Amino acid sequence: MSVRPVGVQAPPRAAGTSAPVSPTPRGLWRGGRGFVALGLAVLLVAVVTALVTGASTEGRRLDPADATLTGSKALARLLAARGVRVERVSTVEEVERLDGPDSQLLVYDTWSLSPGDLERLGKTRADRLIIGFSSALPVLAPGITARGSTSLRSREPGCALPAAAGAGSAYLGGLTFDVPGRGALGCYAGPDGPSLVRAFGPLTGPSAVTVAGDGSFMTNQRLAEDGNAALALNLAGTKPVLIWLVPGDTPAAVGSGRATPGELVPAGVIWALVQLVVALLVVALWRGRRLGPVVVERLPVVVRAAETVEGRGRLYRARRARDRASAALRAASASRLTPRLGLPGDATADEIVAAAALKSGQDAVWVRSVMYGPIPADDAGLVALAGHLDTLERQVRES
Amino acid sequence: MALTGRAGLIAALGAIVVLVAPRPAYAVLGLLLVLGALVMVDLLFAGGVRPLRFRRGGERLVRLGESVAVELIVENPGRRRVRGTVRDAWPPSAGASPRHLRLDVPAGERRRLVTTLTPTRRGDREAVTVTVRSLGPLGVAARQGSHRVPWAVRVLPPFLSRKHLPAKLSKLRELEGVHPALVRGQGTEFDSLREYVVGDDVRSIDWRATARRADVVVRTWRPERDRRVLIVLDTGRTSAGRVGTSPLPLPHPGTPVSPATGAVPASAAAGWPRLDWSMDAALLLAALATRAGDRVDFLAHDRVARAWTSGASRTDSLSALVNVMAPLEAELVEADAERMVATVMSRARRRCLVVLLTDLNPAAMDQGLLPVLPQLSSRHLVLVAAVADPRVAEMAAGRGTSEAVYDAAAAEHLRGERARLTARLRRHGCEVVDATPDDLAPALADAYLALKAAGRL
Repeated sequence: MSVRPVGVQAPPRAAGTSAPVSPTPRGLWRGGRGFVALGLAVLLVAVVTALVTGASTEGRRLDPADATLTGSKALARLLAARGVRVERVSTVEEVERLDGPDSQLLVYDTWSLSPGDLERLGKTRADRLIIGFSSALPVLAPGITARGSTSLRSREPGCALPAAAGAGSAYLGGLTFDVPGRGALGCYAGPDGPSLVRAFGPLTGPSAVTVAGDGSFMTNQRLAEDGNAALALNLAGTKPVLIWLVPGDTPAAVGSGRATPGELVPAGVIWALVQLVVALLVVALWRGRRLGPVVVERLPVVVRAAETVEGRGRLYRARRARDRASAALRAASASRLTPRLGLPGDATADEIVAAAALKSGQDAVWVRSVMYGPIPADDAGLVALAGHLDTLERQVRES
Repeated sequence: MALTGRAGLIAALGAIVVLVAPRPAYAVLGLLLVLGALVMVDLLFAGGVRPLRFRRGGERLVRLGESVAVELIVENPGRRRVRGTVRDAWPPSAGASPRHLRLDVPAGERRRLVTTLTPTRRGDREAVTVTVRSLGPLGVAARQGSHRVPWAVRVLPPFLSRKHLPAKLSKLRELEGVHPALVRGQGTEFDSLREYVVGDDVRSIDWRATARRADVVVRTWRPERDRRVLIVLDTGRTSAGRVGTSPLPLPHPGTPVSPATGAVPASAAAGWPRLDWSMDAALLLAALATRAGDRVDFLAHDRVARAWTSGASRTDSLSALVNVMAPLEAELVEADAERMVATVMSRARRRCLVVLLTDLNPAAMDQGLLPVLPQLSSRHLVLVAAVADPRVAEMAAGRGTSEAVYDAAAAEHLRGERARLTARLRRHGCEVVDATPDDLAPALADAYLALKAAGRL
């Protein structure tokens, strides 16, 4: 606790000279240059990292350029070693350019292809190897429909297809298909159908179509297990050229022919909005700049002195303390009555009752019951008691 | 640095330009560059804020409830004109107005700005900072900077009870004029001899003087002068409680009062601390005692002595008292009555009237003052003055509902305890003044006059 000096306190401080307190530009630079250096370092590291690594192909499932567990770079390398030209393409235009009877198209993701693109793929003359999807089957593999799905595990071929029979067991499952009967062979069957189907001739025209329920057996992770590698090579290496269609980096425009609302808005409006945002920032800076610091002040407490009494009243009420409340009211009345009745401060109850009854003209029994009677049984009784005490005091006062 | 509304307007109007521009992206970029260039020009050509020099002048003292003007002299030693706004920042309870001042100082000249303070609270108010925003020639951006220009204004207690002073002074003169009717007492001294008139006390006949002259001569007495009055102000926790309604219709800082509705401001409803009411009463007593020729000392004490003034010179003792009282605040600690009594005993060696302005709080008194009171009253005459809470009387009269009756019982409980405490203090030989806030000052003055009339000082 601080002790202020005793005696006549110092008068308000004498006026000194004024001194600027705002930071100087040099001071700001000194204080902030560490943060500026840190920010520049972070920016530099980010730019260098981005330049060195380039576009990433990591984590792209079944991508012939991806060397992670889910990629298929191993298969692409094996195919290349066997003299197959693996062409990694990402647009339908490139597929059409490479299309020919000596090529095979590998499709494993059609979500990024528009219906128009699918139509164009359906018109190609190359053989097709379709991995694990159902929505585009009617276009790319007419006659083969998906039936259900089964768990992924190592399965036996159980069919006469040379590519499958030669490879032996493989890690397959996923989608299962309906075999359209003549001109088609189903292998690696689950409970409700085969998960690998190859169809030729009457169904698909000049090109052979192979549909697999899942592509896990072609990934870098699974390729070395079972007969996975053999199966993959048998399926994908049937033609000298393999067109490997990977999903494009940017999804194709949806709903060709109809422009989105964004395309319909003139560029000027969008840039005008940008300009309005700039204006908003400027206005925010204008309104947000305070003229000087916020002034703080130590304020005194604001406590009503009557709060303790109010609290005691609420406690009485909460506990229904009629005994204490009635005793306090009666004692107050008695202390006000005794001087009026001409009695000393230590007068007994009998003296007070007798004198009050005489002075007020009330019955002594009633006066006694009011002044020294039992504790009221309920709150209504307490309110009535207060009224009776008031009546008695008034009658004594006015007599 | 600060931007202005004009910069925002330019940026907003730029949106229209962008809308019709053939190359909108370049238009946005170009507008940004233009705006940046305008801001740079303004910042370069705005008058410097840092070299400005400030001085202050004006009042240093103000009574609570009154206004005072504080001057700020701005000197521009730079080469460019400084045009813009100034904020002379004071604590909120200093009630500084206007908040912003317009400033226009040509190079090498000086200007005087006036801030009016209407404090809402007692104590010392120190100026915080002076902030200047100097606009550039285009009005798009401004330089901004702050200066520390020290100045303090002491807000004195309002001494509202001075309205009672003329009445009490005439009572005092009456007291001094009615010499013979005065009984000879301990605190009276011989004044003069005069002829006997019918009705004079025969006991005051001076027989020796009567024998010398052929007439009956009586001695006259007058109240003794040069007595000592020591006012002790309790600044402990009990003096922080707010009582009554604030007599000054001051707006609480931060809550503007609408004059149209005329609603009582929150601060007035919250009342005034007991400390301020006690100060008011103490000032009336001090003014009266000084006129009566007594010497007034003052001590403010809670755990330690907070303030002390000794009424050495009679002419300026009141102003010294007011000055010493101004910065006192109620401390939220329990008052140490033992140390207070020790301080009084060591500072007042001669017998004096000790006026103790405190609260009749039974719990605090039982453990604080009562045990050490005999020590104090053995040498001095002790007068205990306390502010009664009118809200308690209001609650004690509550009837009708059970809530009101329970509150009334609680209020009666407190009043009973106060009455018992008063009786105990009287048994110790103390005088007790227990009055509502508005009546405390006159009641205390009356008690002092009664003691003086009875020659008990």
